[in-house]
Amino acid sequence: MVVIAWLLVPTAVKRFSRLTFFEVQAPLELAPSYVRDLQDYWSLRTRSQNDLIEAGRDLARLTASYELRVQENGELRAEVARLESLLSLPTFNSYRPEPARVVRRDFNGWWQRLVIRKGRNYNLTVGAPVIFSGGVVGRIAEVGAYTAVVEMITSPGMRLAASVEGDQRPISYQGGLNAAFAAPRGVVEFVPLDLFAAPNSPQKLVTSGLGGVFPPGLIIGQMVRLEPSTDGLFKSGEVQLDPRLSELAEVTVLVPLAPEIPPVGTPRP
Amino acid sequence: MSAANRQILAMVLCGMILEVLLIQVNHSAAPTYVSLWMGGLAVTFASLRLGYREGLISVLLLGGLQDALAPVFFGLHVLLFATAHAIIFYIRNRFPREETVIGVLVALLANLGLFLVFSFTQIGASPAPGIVWGRLLVDLGFSQVALAAITPWFLALQERAVEIMGAGLRTEQRGVM
Repeated sequence: MVVIAWLLVPTAVKRFSRLTFFEVQAPLELAPSYVRDLQDYWSLRTRSQNDLIEAGRDLARLTASYELRVQENGELRAEVARLESLLSLPTFNSYRPEPARVVRRDFNGWWQRLVIRKGRNYNLTVGAPVIFSGGVVGRIAEVGAYTAVVEMITSPGMRLAASVEGDQRPISYQGGLNAAFAAPRGVVEFVPLDLFAAPNSPQKLVTSGLGGVFPPGLIIGQMVRLEPSTDGLFKSGEVQLDPRLSELAEVTVLVPLAPEIPPVGTPRP
Repeated sequence: MSAANRQILAMVLCGMILEVLLIQVNHSAAPTYVSLWMGGLAVTFASLRLGYREGLISVLLLGGLQDALAPVFFGLHVLLFATAHAIIFYIRNRFPREETVIGVLVALLANLGLFLVFSFTQIGASPAPGIVWGRLLVDLGFSQVALAAITPWFLALQERAVEIMGAGLRTEQRGVM
């Protein structure tokens, strides 16, 4: 009777119920995250002044090197824009980087997801790519008022277009090989026959940019095994993913910016 | 608020405490790629000790809370928990259901059944079900051990919560008319 009753409930009611239950539980996930931050703060307060001076010195060095990179980046962007204008190429999507703390890591055998501490209050959108220093983390699957859920590349529901670094041909990537006590892996399909990979000579797998969700060139992992698929037309294999994915404390969401559309009649520069 | 509603509120609050604890344990255990799941514990007390209607509403709400956090169609946990509740409720008079040992056994069996059924509904999405089943069995093993360890505490917590709310279980005790 419960099953029949549930099937007759309108979808709008189910969606409203789901959102309500999601938002009711959001503070339960957020509160421990703030407590952990407080613990970190007080543990850092116990550090000596010499440690702080050393950390400040290291930070100054890093800042100097990053300032140099920012200048180089600006020059390269200007060069890309000039070439796009000369060759009338379509511009790549622009993104706003939005760093966010990880509130919850949910890595079970069925799915792998993260909950982050930013949501609609920072204009995050469903489908936005999420990255960290090692490459792709996943994409935003749900956005709440103050939290968002990230579906990770280790999750079986995650499929994306990839390519081998230096090769433009698209490959299909899917997550989902998550054994216990082992680094996560994914699978690749539709790999061209002339590509080879083995544990002692892995190939770096990056995003292809196809599909428009992920910018091209972001690291996914290392292809460590390729074998001919059953149809003989392509190869399929395994991808070793970054083991740091399971320890993430902070990630960056690339929020897509609306493309700047010039007013009608404005000549293209 | 009626006694029945207070019982339901106590069940939901205790369920949320369990959920928060599980979230923290799984968050910390994420680097080992082992995860705990205790859906069976959410239904045990409600099915063994409460009336049918109060128990059903409790497990429906707890199932809804689980569904909101999982990438499954909204209602899967609700249906599984409701089915488990109905089964446990109709066989509960055959054993001394107030005993802690019986509570632990019921929680273990309910968790085992719910975990396996839930896994069968989700395994289709995986590119390599063999590897995933290996992982799921490890998760299940750790979950059952943890479940056996905390069930006595959790059942006592739920009983105490019902008492604090002033909604005693006397009418649901065996042998009481």
